Amino acid sequence: MKTRLAFSLALASLWHRRRVLALVCLTLTLSVSLLLGIQYLRTEIRQSFTSTISGTDLIVGARSGQLNLLLYTVFHIGDATNNIRWSTFRKLQEDPRIDWLIPISLGDSYRGYRVVATDSNFPEHFRYGQEQPVSLAEGEWFSDVFHVVLGAGVARELGHQPGEEIILSHGGGRTSFSNHEDTPFRITGILEATGTPVDQAVYISLAGMEAMHVGWESGVAIPGRTLTPEKAQGMDFTPDAITAAYVGLKSPVLTFQLQRALNQSAEEPLSAILPGVALSELWRLMGQFEKALLGITGFVVITSLVGLVAVLLTLQTQRAHEIAVLRATGASTGLVASLHVIECVALALVSCLLALAVGAALLTGIAPWLLDNYGINLALRPLNPTEWALLATVPAAAALVGLLPAFSTWRRTRSQGLGEISGQ
Amino acid sequence: MTSTTETRLSRARNGEFALEARDLGFRWATSQPMLRFPDLTIPRGEHLFLQGASGSGKSTLLSLLSGMQVPESGSVSILGSELQRLGPGPRDRFRADHIGVIFQQFNLVPYLSALANVTLPCRLSRVRLGQTRPDPDSAAKELLGLLAIPEDHWHRKVTRLSIGQQQRIAAARALMGSPGIILADEPTSALDADNRDRFLDLLLGLAKERGTSVVFVSHDRSLSRHFHHQVHLGGKS
Repeated sequence: MKTRLAFSLALASLWHRRRVLALVCLTLTLSVSLLLGIQYLRTEIRQSFTSTISGTDLIVGARSGQLNLLLYTVFHIGDATNNIRWSTFRKLQEDPRIDWLIPISLGDSYRGYRVVATDSNFPEHFRYGQEQPVSLAEGEWFSDVFHVVLGAGVARELGHQPGEEIILSHGGGRTSFSNHEDTPFRITGILEATGTPVDQAVYISLAGMEAMHVGWESGVAIPGRTLTPEKAQGMDFTPDAITAAYVGLKSPVLTFQLQRALNQSAEEPLSAILPGVALSELWRLMGQFEKALLGITGFVVITSLVGLVAVLLTLQTQRAHEIAVLRATGASTGLVASLHVIECVALALVSCLLALAVGAALLTGIAPWLLDNYGINLALRPLNPTEWALLATVPAAAALVGLLPAFSTWRRTRSQGLGEISGQ
Repeated sequence: MTSTTETRLSRARNGEFALEARDLGFRWATSQPMLRFPDLTIPRGEHLFLQGASGSGKSTLLSLLSGMQVPESGSVSILGSELQRLGPGPRDRFRADHIGVIFQQFNLVPYLSALANVTLPCRLSRVRLGQTRPDPDSAAKELLGLLAIPEDHWHRKVTRLSIGQQQRIAAARALMGSPGIILADEPTSALDADNRDRFLDLLLGLAKERGTSVVFVSHDRSLSRHFHHQVHLGGKS
């Protein structure tokens, strides 16, 4: 068959009908952009989600389900069922298999953001993403009882600077009416944006957590018994309990051994979870939703392709004359039919290219805004094989649907006489 | 394909007939009565005028002569090749190689320029390309010049040209690559008298130069004086 002729005729024909086809092409471009965009975001969000925490081998907390433990320690969602005794934590510190421990104490909030009490092991050992450490954008890590370090999101949202003093609230919730008024905390540093829940919390020392709760034993502040920063100097604020701890092991081989030991601990009911496993379980739960979304987008693309075929079938009537001319000049039925398939695929390819351009432009445009406002880090990257495959299904599907008008043309022209124009 | 067509072609060159049709009969559907056609014989380079009223089966005859349809009985030989012995694909190729066609109207591919329409046969057929001297573009420009299409129209969209110009461009396309025979189906019926005579003179003159036979179908008997042979098709039979 005259392949080159078929291609040049098909392209000339597309160009000739560009006004009618531009709309179809636009529809297809938008739907392909949507499909590609959702797949791209899916990959990116999954990537950033599963790398919310890395380098931590185990998370230890009071006995509960692994999702619950993961949600309240890492994502600051929900509440702890119970605490771990300080003595248990001390024993863990002496365990020879454990390299480092980050204690976490939760319960309070600052204008809706969680207050996380921890120690200097947090900046030293906590890792997210590709083993990236948490570093300070401004100022320094807390060194005093009434020092606080803000996550990037908190500082950005509330416009705080190092040196300012803030009042933390008792308990969770956005509007808490019981505030630790007597014990203001001074901001000493602000963390770099990480695109993880780390950005949405404020960090104080374990001692600070204890100090601001002196006089709050009954749940509300008893006047006269609370501390002031002056009175707190020199006092010992060793906590009785903490909420959870991140554990780093000397050797990852020991992970399951220690996990089993902790889960069966005779001293206190504990749960030790593998953050990676818990994260993928959580993702599997949420993954159903994004799969459904991708499926819907797939249908949008199919709808656009059906629209494309509808337009091509309508155009067929207009094309009866030119097909008669081509046939009379000696073009085979196959050549005439192949024009439809080529045109369909060419349109799909143009739409895919446009969709890539639209996607890249959009991503470049909104990436800084997303990072600034939502702490989501979306980088422009080359497509991965899955995305290329998904993109390739569009022209492949176009070729398939193009067979429809192609076959109808082929069947019709086969039995036509010279110069015969049978429209339908 | 070329070797077999070439031997047929050389045999036809030696033989004297551009077209021979014998005992042609055809029906579009088995339920319809058989259409019968008179025998036709055209020596190479001579022209035939087929006169018949509408409904006399002119279009059907042209479909048979061009190999778009196969007769139910009888045979069509063009340049010595019996068309019904060829399969559908080879018949298409044979048409591309040896037959030029001009319709009553809508002769051109709307999205190609005048020039691209004229060179189309050379892109569909190696035989026509081989018979085009010096190259398709120059030959097409020469033909368009001879057929009085102004140079600034050559690259123009054909849909903007007048009917007369479109018909002349169609004639140029049919003449490209000097096919053995041109089938013209009422090509002048959309033209006024002046244009009609000029068109006929140009077509027959250029065909003669190239040794191409023309089968000209028209209901207009007054045109028959331009032709060597005349055949009258009866009414509905």
